Amino acid sequence: MTRRILARYGTALAGVGLFAIFAVTSPVFLTPDNIALILKETAFLGILAIGFTLALVTAEIDLSVAEVASLAAVVTGALVHGGTDPWIAIAAGLAVGTLCGAANGVAVTVLNVPSLIATLGVAAIAKGLSFMLTQGVAFVGRWPASFTGLARGTLLGVPNLIWWLAGIGFAAWLLVKWTRLGAHLVATGEADEAARLAGIRTRSMKRLALTLAGACAGLTAVLLASSLSSAAPAMANDHFLYAIAAVLLGMSMFEPGRPNIPGTLFAAFTLKVLGNGLVLLGAEYYWQDIILGTIILLSVALSATGTGKAPFVKKLNVRR
Amino acid sequence: MHAAPSAAERGLAASPRGRGLVGVRVSPPVTPLLSLRGIGMSYGAVTALRDVDFDIGAGEVVALCGDNGAGKSSLVKILAGAQAPTAGSIALDGANEKFRDPQDALRKGIATIYQDLAVAPRLSIWQNVFLGSELTRPPFGLLDKRRMAEMSRGFLARLAVDIADMETPVERLSGGQRQAVAICRALRWDARIIIMDEPTAALGVKETAQVLELIRRLQAEKHTVILVSHAMQDVVAVADRVVILRGGRKVQDRPVAGLTAGDLAAMIMQRAA
Repeated sequence: MTRRILARYGTALAGVGLFAIFAVTSPVFLTPDNIALILKETAFLGILAIGFTLALVTAEIDLSVAEVASLAAVVTGALVHGGTDPWIAIAAGLAVGTLCGAANGVAVTVLNVPSLIATLGVAAIAKGLSFMLTQGVAFVGRWPASFTGLARGTLLGVPNLIWWLAGIGFAAWLLVKWTRLGAHLVATGEADEAARLAGIRTRSMKRLALTLAGACAGLTAVLLASSLSSAAPAMANDHFLYAIAAVLLGMSMFEPGRPNIPGTLFAAFTLKVLGNGLVLLGAEYYWQDIILGTIILLSVALSATGTGKAPFVKKLNVRR
Repeated sequence: MHAAPSAAERGLAASPRGRGLVGVRVSPPVTPLLSLRGIGMSYGAVTALRDVDFDIGAGEVVALCGDNGAGKSSLVKILAGAQAPTAGSIALDGANEKFRDPQDALRKGIATIYQDLAVAPRLSIWQNVFLGSELTRPPFGLLDKRRMAEMSRGFLARLAVDIADMETPVERLSGGQRQAVAICRALRWDARIIIMDEPTAALGVKETAQVLELIRRLQAEKHTVILVSHAMQDVVAVADRVVILRGGRKVQDRPVAGLTAGDLAAMIMQRAA
């Protein structure tokens, strides 16, 4: 029993412990402004990681999310900067993300390219397009409040970014845990052949998941551009390793060995707490990368053990 | 699992018990549930099945046997809707049918339980039973997990399999229990014909006995079972009739009563004259 509880909640408890340590050691950590800052940072990472989680639910890995987000941000920024109606710019950003996700889906399910390679290819294309559109120069300016308010505004005293994260997180959780479509996504990831024999359109499920991952990248991009009033190539790249780490760390809690939305969100928050706490304690910047890499390694090692390997681990041919 | 009923309890005492390998004629069931006529299957220049026909009645357990390459797998794939025959016809209750895909065959009452069970090991019992056909509840169309768990428990109870927690991942179950879960999926579709492909392969003695008991229970519920098996002792234990394929042709179609596992093995190995 204790072992089961530890397996489910051990990592989450460690995250709570980390929070407590920073709360005790740093006088600034628990201030409302700092907590709000952590939550806002969590929003960008969390939404990007939710997309990555959805792809991983179908046992596909989307390595393009950050570059796709950067491209979508650049497209959105270029349009806003050029005076286009902000709502059209937002729609364009979302569309770019969604189309890139759909391209990943087609490459994986129609061209039969492994997702690890297909998404790397799309990432490279997205990166090239970002630089082509900007010529390496960021779009910066005083953008309309109707656009910047998307991320910087508040609702009922709560920052919009937190509402966005809560809304997308809830929708994704509802989809995966409580809908027939979600059950088919999970079945596709857990046992592709069994799902296909049971009549589930597994290729469509993979296409859908990768498309949703792209859509999440598009939304992250729009929120980033809105929050920073700027758009530059590679602007979302800092979130790439964090997103992977959040999803993998999330798989070690609540539903061990499975990509799950609550785990991803809690892990994203924990990672941002860690980053924030280390800065407050004066740690050198490189410690964040070292810790991040360690978390990724340990998380995959955890997913490769236990009663059943996570399907994506089997795909990567990680042996024990 | 309950103890296996005796042969008399299963109605075998009334079956013809002729011994020997030749000279037995089989009358087809009065109202065939499933009829195959002139079934052929070719893969390019290779002919896997030619001119296979037989009838199966409701509630029968028919063993489909043959050496490797005899055409069993091709026939199972055709019946399961996984591939269409290149010749011949299939009739269900006297009406000609063509299966577009496995789901279509399932909807028409034919469920296939593959050798590897086609289960999702890390998913729960109820998730496996309702894989691809999940129940939802109004008003929002969300999954009705409680009902699916209750129904799964009911299906397992019908098979006299006692598992307390329907949330248990299938990978934690014994081989026999996994077969039961796979059968429950067939029951969930109310399948009249259940094809079991090598259900006891890789199972221990105790688990094999459990699976044979499951087949008896299916028969008691008037389900028709097509048992594809290399285990002749299993065929003798549960099948009413055996159809033997060799080189893609049907070479035997006769009652099992009176035959031993050795007899069946000899029939399979026998070279065509």
